[in-house]
Amino acid sequence: MIRYHNHKFRTIQGIQQGFEGCGYVCSHQIATTLYLASHLEKPILVEGPAGVGKTELGKTASLYLGVPLIRLQCYEGLDESKALYEWKYGKQLLYTQILKDKLNEVLKGAEGLASSMTRLHQYDDIFFSPHFLEPRPLLKALQQEGGAVLLLDEVDKSDQEFEAFLLEILSDYQVSVPEIGTISATSKPFVFLTSNNTREMSEALKRRCLHLFIPFPDPKLERKIVRVRVPGISEKLEAQLVAFIQEVRQLDLKKAPSVSETVDWAKTLMLLHASALNPDLIRDTLNTFLKFEEDIDIVQERLYTMAEKAVREF
Amino acid sequence: MEEVLHNLMRALRGSGVRISVSETMDALEAVKLVGYGKRQVLREALGATLAKSQYEKKLFETCFNRYFSRDSLSDEEEAPSPPPEVEYDSEDADLSQMLLSGDNAGLSMAMRAAARQVEITGIWFFTQKSLYVHRILEAMGLEGLEGDIKRLSQGMTAHSQEKAGVLREARDRLAEHVRDFVEQQYTLFAGAATEEMMEKYLRNMRLSNLEERDFHRMRLIIQKMVKRLNDIYSRRKKRSRRGLLDVKRTIRQNLTYDGLLFEPQWKCKKVDRPDIMVLCDVSRSVQAVARFMLLFLYSLNEAVARISSFIFCSNLVEVSHVFDGYEVEEVLVRLQRGIGLGVQLGRTDYGQAFQDFKEQGLDRVGNKTTVIILGDARNNYGDPETGILRLIYERSRRLIWLNPEPSSFWGTGDSEMAAYRAHCSLARECSTVNHLERVVDFLLKTGGY
Repeated sequence: MIRYHNHKFRTIQGIQQGFEGCGYVCSHQIATTLYLASHLEKPILVEGPAGVGKTELGKTASLYLGVPLIRLQCYEGLDESKALYEWKYGKQLLYTQILKDKLNEVLKGAEGLASSMTRLHQYDDIFFSPHFLEPRPLLKALQQEGGAVLLLDEVDKSDQEFEAFLLEILSDYQVSVPEIGTISATSKPFVFLTSNNTREMSEALKRRCLHLFIPFPDPKLERKIVRVRVPGISEKLEAQLVAFIQEVRQLDLKKAPSVSETVDWAKTLMLLHASALNPDLIRDTLNTFLKFEEDIDIVQERLYTMAEKAVREF
Repeated sequence: MEEVLHNLMRALRGSGVRISVSETMDALEAVKLVGYGKRQVLREALGATLAKSQYEKKLFETCFNRYFSRDSLSDEEEAPSPPPEVEYDSEDADLSQMLLSGDNAGLSMAMRAAARQVEITGIWFFTQKSLYVHRILEAMGLEGLEGDIKRLSQGMTAHSQEKAGVLREARDRLAEHVRDFVEQQYTLFAGAATEEMMEKYLRNMRLSNLEERDFHRMRLIIQKMVKRLNDIYSRRKKRSRRGLLDVKRTIRQNLTYDGLLFEPQWKCKKVDRPDIMVLCDVSRSVQAVARFMLLFLYSLNEAVARISSFIFCSNLVEVSHVFDGYEVEEVLVRLQRGIGLGVQLGRTDYGQAFQDFKEQGLDRVGNKTTVIILGDARNNYGDPETGILRLIYERSRRLIWLNPEPSSFWGTGDSEMAAYRAHCSLARECSTVNHLERVVDFLLKTGGY
């Protein structure tokens, strides 16, 4: 039971470059955590504001490693029959019906109730064998031959009981099915858990994971991200745009623009063939990165000074 | 090197980062992987394995920077090497030799070794600083150095006099460095201990003695408490809401249908939600405590869904609506001054308060309701209206009286507690946060409400 692709995680710089090749610019902190996670064989709990690329990190990891991405979107009420495994009840019922006729053959020659029972006992548990097991994402991730990236998205939305199911899989990479026994991973998957911090995760869960907090990127990193995600953007526009977004984040908004929204905005401006920012252009495209009426009002009030500041610097 | 990490973890624990044993082991593994070579990588690796929330990350950053700050002794420019003409010889003590040769690295090492020997990590109070400075200097061999100085200054030659002067200067400089070092260690290790101690201390302190400046800290403690209780409570509620197929019962029930699963049976638990009514005294006699009682009430309002709150002094009014949408400070001020609420802050009149409650709230008291009364039962010799209290007691599931006075004072003077007590399911003294916590625990425990 080894984790494959370890060679792709040999150095921190290598990871940074590799991820960038897949279109994800990661900070040194992220690369270090990935490096540790692969060598210590630990899951990563990723936290941070919405839209800084938490989910994207998992996706890119699967792309970089060339292994399938198995994603489980968590929600309130998610339970083990949807996340871990389920018995194929229909198949079981169907088989009992079909096998009813076979029962006479099996019991042929047996005398009395006791000996019939003994004979039946030889066939016990056939209906609770791996053939009738329906693997759900968590189990599926363990069964992937060549390894997998398991992404548990928004794990904070799930119930507290659900965390308990996760504990076994996170620490030992195995699942216990009462009727069958323990199923261990054929090769350990790379596990990401993302959380928007709507509630505090339990201590037990945190203990089993490495913790990564992704904040909003600094201007330098954000410019790099824009450059990678929106190829062909002019350097001037990219610098002004990032400066403006960084400025907007300083304001007291309902929802600060995220990185993905910066990228969206950059793409929008590219479509409009803009080569530099100006207040009118910003006003027309504000709604690509501000999603609340109140926020738009706040920014519009200061639009001229902010735009001027962003434009003057570059 | 492991010692270094363990001490860092001690400092981290002290400043409030929770670190378990398994996390310690992860950190050691991680450090083995990345090594001590690069500061940034080390910081990131330790941060990923030890600090598990945004808040802890912040604590970690400050702690890490403080812990691995350069100590002043190994800085070249700060400690000028002594004049070269003063040579040391073999009869000098080790410490003197090191000082004379300007072996700053050696001195720094010796200082840290001495610090370990005297267990500087145990420092708790600022009053211990000079003690530790002295102990470290002694462990470094101050005695030998003093001996050298004394011997040399008694010496007749100009050379020995000069050497004694140089040594004396070096000794003072060393003491200065050690003092800085101890100062730094103090901020690192004592901060934590003090924090812990403050919390323990506040928990056991009488609520009426608490001062305004402790208020913020107190609020955090209460919030922590309520949050914990709420975690337990909300989990119970959710579990009971969900229905799962009860296989055993289904099979048993359907035996009559020839084993066909005709009528599925569901697992479910009864929803048993606490329904709480709180009556809080805000009169002058309990003024100091009332602030904290109200604070508690506020926190409870955030945690428990169904709660009605009343405050009383000369009369009683319902204030449940005040809690929604206001900040805690504002609510407390409004409640205490009774701004716009119609509460008269004259003489405390429990009889009137109970009568008002009978009119306004008694029909809402059912067999699931827990009624909590916060007050000292000092009725200014008025009519106690024990009958109404008895009525409330009979209709409610439970009547809890929390009295800030110790039970030996109950029934003395104008206190009606002795009479009221007979009609309470539970009457407790409640003057510290620990008391409060015990009561809430009891309240939210299964079957407790």
